[in-house]
Amino acid sequence: MNKRSDRKMVEVKGLHKSFGELEVLKDINLSVSEGEVVVIIGPSGSGKSTLLRCINFLEKNQSGEIYIDGRLIEHRDSHINKMRQNVGMVFQHFNLFPHMTVLQNVIEGPIQVKKMNKKHAIIMAEELLDKVGLADKKNEYPAMLSGGQKQRVAIARALAMQPKVMLFDEPTSALDPELVGEVLAVMKELAKEGMTMLVVTHEMGFAREVADRVIFMDDAAIVEQGIPDDVFDNPQNERTQAFLGQIL
Amino acid sequence: MVYDFSIIIEEFPIFVPAAVQTLKITAASIVFGVVLGLVVAFGRISKFRLFYYPATLYITVIRGTPILLQLFIVYFGLSEIVMLDPFPSAVIAFGTHNGAYIAEIFRGAIKSIDIGQMEAARSLGMSQFQAMRRIILPQALKRAIPPLGNQFIIATKDSSLASAISVRELLLKSQQLGSSTYRFMEYFIIAGIYYLIITTVLGFLVHRLERRLAVSDRL
Ligand SMILES: Nc1ncnc2c1ncn2[C@@H]1O[C@H](COP(=O)(O)OP(=O)(O)OP(=O)(O)O)[C@@H](O)[C@H]1O
Ligand SMILES: [Mg+2]
Repeated sequence: MNKRSDRKMVEVKGLHKSFGELEVLKDINLSVSEGEVVVIIGPSGSGKSTLLRCINFLEKNQSGEIYIDGRLIEHRDSHINKMRQNVGMVFQHFNLFPHMTVLQNVIEGPIQVKKMNKKHAIIMAEELLDKVGLADKKNEYPAMLSGGQKQRVAIARALAMQPKVMLFDEPTSALDPELVGEVLAVMKELAKEGMTMLVVTHEMGFAREVADRVIFMDDAAIVEQGIPDDVFDNPQNERTQAFLGQIL
Repeated sequence: MVYDFSIIIEEFPIFVPAAVQTLKITAASIVFGVVLGLVVAFGRISKFRLFYYPATLYITVIRGTPILLQLFIVYFGLSEIVMLDPFPSAVIAFGTHNGAYIAEIFRGAIKSIDIGQMEAARSLGMSQFQAMRRIILPQALKRAIPPLGNQFIIATKDSSLASAISVRELLLKSQQLGSSTYRFMEYFIIAGIYYLIITTVLGFLVHRLERRLAVSDRL
């Protein structure tokens, strides 16, 4: 699959982040090209979530630069809000808006943020819900959906902003095992369509099959990265070996 | 028999104007309190000291002093500067009083909304204000309804303190009729029945609203 272009959709340069005394990210450098699927793996507490959250400024980094589609993002609300329209985020716990129906969840961003006309927003939302296999649930409230269905709505909600990049933070970790597949299937489909994706996951099968590149993080740093076959079958760093030995 | 309970039935209707007065004070101080409470709640969750400290000071003072004292300060204390009639004095004092409690109710409700809701809203590109208005507040208001209903019932009962500055509401009415006829018990019972009716209806309405708004939570 040679779908990559040279256009850098995400570029992280010299990123540092700490919570008080605790250094959570140490000098992270990373770039993701257009259409590339990058999977981040690593032990709990290694800083994977924090990295994703720094990329769309849910956490403020202490130093370093973040570029989205070539544009440097400054720590200003106007910049950040604009950037976030281009960066979709999918959370481990879905974070659907419980007071809104499925359809309302999906049209909320386009209408409020992009000022899209409601009719257009609904047409687009219905297409997206169809794509994630939930067209028939559009008038349900999130409380009535299974975890897998919720996460698929959350993906549709993020896609409704027509982002250039999608960030996924353990999108299947809160799901019952039998529901993981339906969410991964939607993500695979997205990857196939050429979406640029940065995915934190423990689903090694998904990583192997879909990722163009796997990044192993440990102790606040990127320890090793490469194509899935290399990282999984022939890890160079002993910490990667130890981690893979534990989970595979 | 020392008591003549037939009076309760016969004289029940003549309390209607006093009950209306009670309802007016209560309604006005609730509206006042809700508006003030919402503003102060934002002060309490604000990270700007300019908003946080005055809001906190206001809540501390109001909750730490008796409501009757607050009423006297507005009616008698302020009379050096501005002479207010009893009714507006009661509304200002009780509205300010309720505002402090309602602010804490709103603050608690806003804080109780999962942080993930704000993050999801912001990650769509919404501003802080949009996220608050569209995502956080609707959920928080719903959660605030039971404690608000409770506060409204307290406000109804507290309105009886306005009798102390001669607002002709239910309690004053029963005191006046009682002392002119020496039938205190009968008239106090009438007032009591009115209060019970008001608080029960209020409780029922709040409960119904709560149930209607719970649709989205039903599994
Ligand atoms: N808001 C916070 N305040 C203080 N410390 C935090 C905060 N968020 C995360 N941390 C700490 O930062 C470190 C990295 O956390 P992070 O959530 O990024 O790890 P992770 O790799 O995503 O782990 P997991 O696989 O468990 O999700 C951990 O030690 C965590 O305890
Ligand atoms: Mg994490």
